[in-house]
Amino acid sequence: MNSTLAHPYSEPYRLPAGALALGVHAAFFALIYFGISWRAEPPQGMVVDIWESLPQAEVTPAKAAPPPVEQVEPAKPVELPKPVETPKSAEPEQPATPIKADIELAEKKKPKIKPAEIKKDVEAKKLAQKKLEAEQAARAEQAAREERAAREEQAAQAERERERERARAEQAAAIGKVVDEHKARIIAKIRRNIVMPPDVPDSARAEFEVTLLPGGSVLSAKLARPSGRDAYDSAVERAIFKAQPLPLPADVALFNKFRELRLKFSPKE
Amino acid sequence: MNMTQDLSFLHLIQNASVLVQLVMGLLLLVSLLSWWYIFLKMFAVRLAVKQSGEFEEAFWESPDIGKLYQAINAKQDQAGSMERIFAAGVTEFVKLKKKSGIESRAIMDGTRRAMRAACQREMDNLESHLSFLATVGSVSPYVGLFGTVWGIMNAFRGLSNVGQATLAHVAPGIAEALVATAMGLFAAIPAVVAYNRYAHDITRLSSRFESFMEEFSNVLQRQP
Repeated sequence: MNSTLAHPYSEPYRLPAGALALGVHAAFFALIYFGISWRAEPPQGMVVDIWESLPQAEVTPAKAAPPPVEQVEPAKPVELPKPVETPKSAEPEQPATPIKADIELAEKKKPKIKPAEIKKDVEAKKLAQKKLEAEQAARAEQAAREERAAREEQAAQAERERERERARAEQAAAIGKVVDEHKARIIAKIRRNIVMPPDVPDSARAEFEVTLLPGGSVLSAKLARPSGRDAYDSAVERAIFKAQPLPLPADVALFNKFRELRLKFSPKE
Repeated sequence: MNMTQDLSFLHLIQNASVLVQLVMGLLLLVSLLSWWYIFLKMFAVRLAVKQSGEFEEAFWESPDIGKLYQAINAKQDQAGSMERIFAAGVTEFVKLKKKSGIESRAIMDGTRRAMRAACQREMDNLESHLSFLATVGSVSPYVGLFGTVWGIMNAFRGLSNVGQATLAHVAPGIAEALVATAMGLFAAIPAVVAYNRYAHDITRLSSRFESFMEEFSNVLQRQP
């Protein structure tokens, strides 16, 4: 009886159970490994935040990039003929002289056989001349090429700079437009909120220095130049705070232009 | 931008302090063992339930105890738990019967004792390693938590040396530390589920064995 009882407790499924356990762990670690390495990417996305403060830089390359291509293309056809001209002037002469020489040689060969040595000398001289000419032509070509390249580069750079300046000017103009538009809107909104006190002359002019917070709320409004009528000044001040939030452009980068505003108010306008 | 490199899973483990690494290693070992036992128990319990069902069917179909006993002896270690209980009862019953001068009541008592002993042994075998699963289930979250707390302590201690504290200084340390908790939970959750499941299965098997023992003693008592 004991012999039958001693063995049966050995578990028959040791190996499959171990393999399954290892499999579960491998799966779990694969999950964690890929899961976390996937999550590690978002920080790269945060680089975008740095770009946010440079919207101008982003626009200029986009505009500046195409023009250089256009410039390089027209520049080439104009200047390419030049290099072709110089080699042409050198090369056509080269083939012409040998042909003539050959003809002369052929003529000489027929009547006399002696001048073979002279021919050789002539040929050698001609060869040397050809070499010299070829070298000179090559040098000229190289110089021409370098000059051309330098000129092209200069032209391209100048063009690029011009483009950039243009883009900058355009952008500045665009930004100025947006700023002006929103300043007008701010003034209009404040004006709507002014409760006009009686007996204010049309000539009254009040100037306020307004400090804004992002989001359009007013941090402070200082009377920079009183109009002379206290009632009007205080009415305008109340209107400034009543008009909160003031309309700001959607582009957060432009807020710096609105941080401190100097606004002029007069009853007529 | 170091963060992108530091947050890879292997980096987290590599950069963790020695104690946290030890805790992770321990948890990995414990988790491997507990999963091994989980599968081992799963197969064992399933086999025991299947064999018990088959044996009960065979027992109630053929009333010939001698034949069944011989079949079980022939099976040797392939016999199931209920078959071994049955064999222990039959052996004791036959032994006591052979001795003259013993009352039939004493014979039945002896037989029942033998069967109960065999049943205890079977239960002990089935329940082995279950306590390990219970321990893993209750302790490994705390072990993981210990590693995490230690790692976070280190992360904050490192933070005190830096003048300007940013989240980037603490984040890798905390992420490292949290891996320990994750591993602890990974070891604990299946262990708890498996423990509850198998404890329930084994309790049902045990009540099945007991009712079989009672019924079988009745059958033996009717034996001439």
